[in-house]
Amino acid sequence: MSEHSGRDRHRWKTALLAAAAIVIVLGSVTAVVAATGRLEAISFLRFPLGFYLLAQGLLIGIVAVCFWSVAAQERIDRSLSESEEF
Amino acid sequence: MKAPSRLRQSNPHLGAYYGITTSAVVSLVVCLAMFEQLGWTQLWLAEALILVPLLLYLVIATGARTLDVRDFFASGRRVPPVYNGAVLAAILIGGAGFFGYTGTLFFLGFDGLAIGLAWTTGLLVAGLLFVPYLRKAGAYTLPAFLGQRFRSRSIRVCASLLQLPPTALLLAAEIKVAALMAVIFLPISYQLAVAAIALIITFIALIGGMRSLTWSATAQFIVGAIGLAVPLIIVSVLLTNLPAPQLTYGEMFAPLARSETIAGVAPSVPQQLATALPSEQLKPSTKPFLQPFGAVSQIDFLTLFLCLTLGTAALPSLLVRSGVTSSIADQRRSVAWAALFVALFAASAPALATFVRLLMFQDIAQAPANALPAWLNDLNLHRLLLAKDANGDGTIEASELFIARDGIALALPMAAKLPFVCTVLVAAGGIAVALAAAASHLFTLAGSLADDVVLRLIGPRSEMLPRLMAAWVAIAATALSAAVFLALANIDLMQAGLTAFALAGATFFPVLLLAIWWRRCTSLGAMLALGLGFGAMALEIGFGGSFGSGMVHLTTVVAALIGATLGLIGGIVGSLIGPPSSAAEEVYFEELRDPGGEALYDRAQRRSTGPG
Repeated sequence: MSEHSGRDRHRWKTALLAAAAIVIVLGSVTAVVAATGRLEAISFLRFPLGFYLLAQGLLIGIVAVCFWSVAAQERIDRSLSESEEF
Repeated sequence: MKAPSRLRQSNPHLGAYYGITTSAVVSLVVCLAMFEQLGWTQLWLAEALILVPLLLYLVIATGARTLDVRDFFASGRRVPPVYNGAVLAAILIGGAGFFGYTGTLFFLGFDGLAIGLAWTTGLLVAGLLFVPYLRKAGAYTLPAFLGQRFRSRSIRVCASLLQLPPTALLLAAEIKVAALMAVIFLPISYQLAVAAIALIITFIALIGGMRSLTWSATAQFIVGAIGLAVPLIIVSVLLTNLPAPQLTYGEMFAPLARSETIAGVAPSVPQQLATALPSEQLKPSTKPFLQPFGAVSQIDFLTLFLCLTLGTAALPSLLVRSGVTSSIADQRRSVAWAALFVALFAASAPALATFVRLLMFQDIAQAPANALPAWLNDLNLHRLLLAKDANGDGTIEASELFIARDGIALALPMAAKLPFVCTVLVAAGGIAVALAAAASHLFTLAGSLADDVVLRLIGPRSEMLPRLMAAWVAIAATALSAAVFLALANIDLMQAGLTAFALAGATFFPVLLLAIWWRRCTSLGAMLALGLGFGAMALEIGFGGSFGSGMVHLTTVVAALIGATLGLIGGIVGSLIGPPSSAAEEVYFEELRDPGGEALYDRAQRRSTGPG
């Protein structure tokens, strides 16, 4: 039972991580596109904020999510191998 | 007895090798810049800067030659993550992205940003949903994975045939862009350039398969990065006094808006996506750079973004590289590195487009029609730009300046009056990434046709040489077909690229999602997912975007999203109503989802060949 529960927990955590990362990114892009009109009035580093977010800000965020999800998934995988050893 | 592997660890000297490669390329550029001042002709400079790197790629490919099947199809499974990330980025951007995306941003400004965002997001999605599991499967091709997952030869053959249209379109687009750049700078015809490019990528793919492709593409990525970064940084220093174009081009927006107003650029209204995207024909740029959603609507922006995200995540040429690193964790890291490299390019491209636009409109706004700047005439000579005072008012307005989308990157050093070497450097960089992408598309297509179709239909061949010989013949035949096609037909880089991404997303995204994430998915469901996704796109392409109804005019990107949704629904329904999956499929699925252990394909091979 413990073997399967460890495996199931690993799968749930993996699926949750993937879903969370994708929802965060897609949600952010959609939110910025929807709010562009208001964001364009704000200046950031001499860029209109809406333009800056789509041209750079979201790219930086997506890359950060990429590296964060890699590290998080490695922790999840390590916890599975430790529970299997146990 | 099985020969022991020479090396299952990555080469510890790789950093030194590519450090030397980078130094050699930079030294070549510096030397040629000096020779230009000493009076070398433009032809000599162009020949040196385009042909010497080509020779370098061929030497690297020859050094990485192999007759080992695992080296040939999976680069020995020992490519370090950073290098695989660089190659993935080069394949995804390619020459079509290098020239096409920068040109699209020049014309669409704000509205073109969806493309770069989608590439980066697509890599994230692929890294989370597909790549680690494909690495665990260890299959050499995407159709081979599907065939093994569902224990079905027909799915394998079908998937291989369905990956042909998107991969072939991308292959043709990359060969074309490399040939077009070669024709501009070298005294050769377009047909000869196409033949030469096809020959070069055939040599690279044939002599060492994925191994030679990986190491030559790493050098091509470096040349591409130098080709983009050096002119861009120089222009940034000239215009903003800082060598960080990504951070400083914002201060150019005020003078750009003034120049656009003087040149007669007025706010525009969104059009349908199909007509808003710039074609390869010379056309005026009439939309203000910063105007949000002036060319495409918010909905079209999001649909384009989603379509390209799905296409990137399920692109066979990227996913075929899922087995080249030494572990699942390394494969994940390589996708993150690829996302970083692509994001760097996507963040630099708007800076390039802004600088070109500013220099172009500033010069036009200040010059009379009969005394245009010399660089405009240079672009005119290469048929990249045409300025004519149509209304006879003595000035050139934006609507009278016809610009080639794919020449925008080349226009940057010309408009900034940089030495000619910088212009050729941009072309050499674009050719480099086009070659990397073209060789990868060629290998993906031909490797799959040989391994998944020919060898499956005539029966399994475990012997090493027949398997490689089938791949060699397929590579040569595919390259020849692509060259003949390009000699006879014309394709638009961006349209071909967009259609290919849409096809890949609609066809492969649903089936991969179900195959990897749903245990209950069966071969019937997988076949329906493949067929419905591809079918929707085929209808859209075949009936010119209207599904034959004539009422709802659907664009390619909308059709791709509909196809992906239909594929997903079809896959679920087919799996639920058909016979349940076999015990072997269930076992394979369980092992696929286990992050530990050996690649499933390698284990099966080891067991079939015995302990020796």
